[in-house]
Amino acid sequence: MNILLIEDDNIEIMKLQRTVSKLGLSHRITEAKNGEQALELLRSGQPLPDIVLLDLNMPRMSGIEFLSILKEDEVLKYLPIVILTTSENRVDLVECYRIGIAGYVIKPLKYEDYQDKLSKVLAYWEVNELVKG
Amino acid sequence: MDNKEVTLLKKALERQKKARQQAERILEEKSKELFDVTHHLKESNSKLENLLNEKTSELDGVFINIIDPYVVMDLKFNVINMNNSAKTFLGYDHTKESLNLASIVHHDFIAYTAQSFQSLIEVGTLKNYRAKILTKAKEEKWVLINSSLIYNTDRKPIAAQGIVRDITQEMEVKQLLAEQKKQLNTIVENSPLGIVLAVEDKIVKTNTTFVELLGYTENELKEMSVRDISAPEDIANSEKLIVQMNKGELDKFSIIKKYYKKDGGFVLARTLVSAVKDEKGKVDYQVALVEDITKEREAEERLRNEREKYSSIIANMNLGLIEVDNDDVIQMVNQSFCTMSGFDREELIGNKAAKVVQVQEGRIIDEKQAERLVGKSDSYEVEVRNKKGQSRHWLISGAPRYDNNKNVVGSIGIHLDITDQKQLEIQKEKLLEELEKSNEGLQEYAHIVSHDLKSPLRSISALASWLTEDYHDKLDDNGKFNLQQIQEKIEGMDGLIDGILKYSSINDATLDNTLVDVNEVVGGIREIIFVPENVNIVIMNPLPSIKVDKTKIHQLFQNLISNAVVNIERTDGLVEISSKENTSHWQFSVKDNGVGIPKEYHEKIFKVFQSIGNNQRSTGIGLSIVKKIVDVYQGKIWLESTVGEGTTFHFTLKK
Repeated sequence: MNILLIEDDNIEIMKLQRTVSKLGLSHRITEAKNGEQALELLRSGQPLPDIVLLDLNMPRMSGIEFLSILKEDEVLKYLPIVILTTSENRVDLVECYRIGIAGYVIKPLKYEDYQDKLSKVLAYWEVNELVKG
Repeated sequence: MDNKEVTLLKKALERQKKARQQAERILEEKSKELFDVTHHLKESNSKLENLLNEKTSELDGVFINIIDPYVVMDLKFNVINMNNSAKTFLGYDHTKESLNLASIVHHDFIAYTAQSFQSLIEVGTLKNYRAKILTKAKEEKWVLINSSLIYNTDRKPIAAQGIVRDITQEMEVKQLLAEQKKQLNTIVENSPLGIVLAVEDKIVKTNTTFVELLGYTENELKEMSVRDISAPEDIANSEKLIVQMNKGELDKFSIIKKYYKKDGGFVLARTLVSAVKDEKGKVDYQVALVEDITKEREAEERLRNEREKYSSIIANMNLGLIEVDNDDVIQMVNQSFCTMSGFDREELIGNKAAKVVQVQEGRIIDEKQAERLVGKSDSYEVEVRNKKGQSRHWLISGAPRYDNNKNVVGSIGIHLDITDQKQLEIQKEKLLEELEKSNEGLQEYAHIVSHDLKSPLRSISALASWLTEDYHDKLDDNGKFNLQQIQEKIEGMDGLIDGILKYSSINDATLDNTLVDVNEVVGGIREIIFVPENVNIVIMNPLPSIKVDKTKIHQLFQNLISNAVVNIERTDGLVEISSKENTSHWQFSVKDNGVGIPKEYHEKIFKVFQSIGNNQRSTGIGLSIVKKIVDVYQGKIWLESTVGEGTTFHFTLKK
């Protein structure tokens, strides 16, 4: 799968990469440091990712703003977006579902728990039929 | 029998014979005498009878010729004789038709007539028989009859004779007088005015009104003088007037004076005294018409007091009073209005109110004026400028003013300066708005802070894990232990951040109250918290369903149950949960048989960050959350505990 990870925190990026390589999965991870960068990437004409993992709290453009822009786009609005965040704020959760998301995953405290959770998320999307291209 | 005896008997017999002969002779003589007397009497009787008859006839002649009607009747009321006058008066002639006098008596007088006749028979004469009769011409006539019986020679009554007087006119006059007297009495007795007739100050007659007014009986009053019932302060004045009246200088006078009542009280009365004079102009009587004006005076007095009271209130009240006409031109203001507005009376009166005080929204005054014209009263607020040009807020209560014909001639307004209140109100509104915003901001802030604190914690935790994993072979035990310590501290801090976030999100505004079954809540908690083998959580009685925010009640029970579980060290650990219903609150209890809490901590443990346990993972915020939730539901929380035996937390939630 092609995964687009939108995340400003380096350690978080490392956590996902480590999880993927540790579990021996063959996903390609593309990174974007923030929403603007992600939009640029998505509109660059390169093949679109299969799923997007999106952090909510980011500088400049928040995850929710990015999500709203994406849903305005005739093509990009069909991308499955899975939120990956530490925010347990119910307001955020509800707002994300209102705009339209494919999942909402809260980052656990312990890395072991993170690895466990992410392996399940990725396994789920792997068995899903994806639009591709 | 011997001869002697026979001789004696013969002699006795002889004597008796002689005696009888003598008696017979005497009897004969007496009879003769009696016969002579009787004969003589007969003669004289017959003589007398003739004499009587003669006399009667003689009288007949007299009566026949007298002027008053004269009638003789038998004892059955049949007329035997009547004179011409009687014939004329009654219209009947007994020589032409039989006339029974009973039949012409007016039916009202039949019983009276029978009674009178009885009396005539017994006494022999009857005087002043008065009755109405009907003449042949069907005229009702009043008659006065004096009559006597006529006897026969055997002294037996055989007839009655009577002289009739026509008193019809007399009776009519009498009746008229009686009628008039009655009418007059009716007027006098029903008069709302007390009426007193006095002769030289002595009361002669009074009416019921006056009797009722003073409470004396009429007889008591008749023993009194006007002076006796007059208040001393009035006597001099009224007597002076009476003197003038007696001199003929006054015919009548009016005076307001006090009369004492029998019960000691007094009435104030307007008295009109008139003189009643004889032909020579001398005063016979004084007639006084007495009108009780006590109540009238009291009412006037009350009215005056009220008026004084209100005018003094108006003058002294802290409210501005203003009267305007229909064109808003000021007619009257009180001192307070001048003070409030800063203008003098002269600057106000005669000018348009809204102009002088520069009512900021002039339209409102026009609207209110239109409402006054249709009789509406209400209150409204305006912003004005005082003489110094400062903005003031006034609360005005306005009502229409009417003239005597009920036409609206303007309005009257009471003004309260509410500038301070208004400013406070505006300030309050601003503060509330700010508070709301800052509350929202705070919520948001708490979430951001918690996120920003949690993210690095996750990074540190990941890094520590990777160190442990990647450098497992290179680290000695001490190093591994320290990494383990780092992980534990991170967990503690993560819990603390969660707790603070929860604590800060408990407030009224965010509550979502629904009917929650507490049994389910406790059941759910039992499933998600770690309960060691040695501890049993038991619900002692069916818990109620209550109207609360499900998340908050969950947090509440979870904290208390977790605390209870954590603090149990014995092998037969037991946590008992029970409830009971009070009038206004539900009371819940969570009881454990754990280590117990020393008395000195019973208050302290509810304060934020106060942890008393040795437990490393205790953040000290759990019971603060519990306390805050209980506070939000207007309840109380307290605990009973014995060290070494256990602790019971009680808390109440308002229904």
